[in-house]
Amino acid sequence: MPAEANPAVLQISDLDVYYGARRRRRQALDGVSLQVSRGETVGLIGETGSGKSTLARTVLGLVPAAAGHIRIDGEAVAGYSRRQWRTLRRRGVIQYVFQDPLRSLDPDVTIEDSLIEPLLIQGVGRTEALRRVRPLLQRVHLDTELLARLPGELSGGQRQRIAVARALVTEPELVILDEPVSALDSANRVEVLEILKQLRAAGVALVFISHDLGSVAGIADRVAVMYQGRLVETGPTRQVITAPQHVYTRLLVGSAPTLHSAAADRAERAALRAALQHV
Amino acid sequence: MVRRVFALRTGKLAVGILVFIAMLAILGPILAPHDPLGSTATTLAGPSGKHWLGTDYLGRDVFSRLLAGSRASVVGSVEVALVALVVGVIPGLLSVYLGRVFEWVSLRLADTLIALPFLVFAVAVTALLGNGITQAMFVVGVLVSPLFFRVSRAATLSVARSQYVELALISGASVGWIVRRHAWVKVLPAIAVALAQTMGVGFIIVSSLTFLGIGVQPPAPTWGGLLASDLNYLHFQPYAPVAPAVVIMATVWGCNLLADAIRDVSGENGRALVNSRKARSNRLAAQPLLVESSR
Repeated sequence: MPAEANPAVLQISDLDVYYGARRRRRQALDGVSLQVSRGETVGLIGETGSGKSTLARTVLGLVPAAAGHIRIDGEAVAGYSRRQWRTLRRRGVIQYVFQDPLRSLDPDVTIEDSLIEPLLIQGVGRTEALRRVRPLLQRVHLDTELLARLPGELSGGQRQRIAVARALVTEPELVILDEPVSALDSANRVEVLEILKQLRAAGVALVFISHDLGSVAGIADRVAVMYQGRLVETGPTRQVITAPQHVYTRLLVGSAPTLHSAAADRAERAALRAALQHV
Repeated sequence: MVRRVFALRTGKLAVGILVFIAMLAILGPILAPHDPLGSTATTLAGPSGKHWLGTDYLGRDVFSRLLAGSRASVVGSVEVALVALVVGVIPGLLSVYLGRVFEWVSLRLADTLIALPFLVFAVAVTALLGNGITQAMFVVGVLVSPLFFRVSRAATLSVARSQYVELALISGASVGWIVRRHAWVKVLPAIAVALAQTMGVGFIIVSSLTFLGIGVQPPAPTWGGLLASDLNYLHFQPYAPVAPAVVIMATVWGCNLLADAIRDVSGENGRALVNSRKARSNRLAAQPLLVESSR
């Protein structure tokens, strides 16, 4: 089987990305290397501006890479033309879910049309696309009567589940989720996380982007920690949480709310923050 | 969309007015009771049984001239609107998507058109393409197109950076797909409003060009031309400008109403409107029950 010959659905090596031009040019990603195997769930952690979303957008071809290699499903995409990107994207290997479901669904397009859009772009007929979408709604625990509505008529949790369902219509190998639950209340958060766990069980690889280690710990096999455009630590989730190596990871782990004395934690965090200045 | 426009009272009214104006443009010249160009000895006469709206400074029947002039006026302003749409809206939409070179060139062209002296351009084009209403309206359409360019570009820009467009791109959508599926609906209401305004301005420009001998040649009647000549004889016939002004106003008003109706029913607004109506009718239907239960 070719899948076994090449188990990585996404391979990133030595990726450099810059924003801006000339004097305003600044580096967003610095030598990032990451591999996501089939069916694996990777948590990508880092603070705002650390380059998590840039990494995701570069993988999707929305941001050009200055150096490095990206292989998607075995295909090297560096230097791809617009047309080549379009052909690759139409295969639907990678899909993406944004943080804010209110903005990631077109307010003027019905849920039905939003859901089948990726299939229509692939050239699938409307009736066939609708037939494929219906079972997906069950998978995200939503009623088919929502299909005729507009995004504004749905709750935030329903919208985010629609966004997840939409990412699944092309039967992707990899779904990149950019803070998929941070805009949701706790009940909806649990529900969406439950759906993601089912996905993982079904063998879909997930890259779960978050600024908060806690929300990723329960679902990720591996955690990759980003700090100022660099990947500072990668490892199995348990190992990163119990024995963090990098100062920044230690700070992240220390920042997770716990029930025991807060004062000692605070002093420790201050020390770590001071240490981070010298990294 | 069409059904939703008709569901609105203003939408019905707007379409009614515009259909009436269109009929006038089609049948007007046939219905005219007198020769619109034939002058008589009775100049500047008041309204009478023979001349319903009186006569002008050359003794021509104003009512006939109004009817006969409707075709040139309406066709003219429709042509202005169409030219502006094609020359303005399509590049406006595409300037966002077709890369930096196209964007830069189209923006500079739009700026140039704004800066171009209107009369010089009109004279140059008529010298090049010959004098006639079609050429004159082409000139006007091109000159108002920067408005359409800007309006459609601004509306498209707000859509282009949105996440749902990025998601469509990630799924492999082409530029045409994004314009058709996502951008067009957001741009349409803004364009409709600009279009209604342009139709109105079109009438006035047609008349000012007539004054210079560009476009419609003087004896031939247009609404704007009638208004202009009536204004010269305001001292003798203070009521005369009312008739052409009323038809021009009615047309512009019809266009504005239609534009408002389109804006109200399109996209999210339209959905909210339909929902609030549904909710109201539900409430009304539920009212007898509420009254009974309160007893």
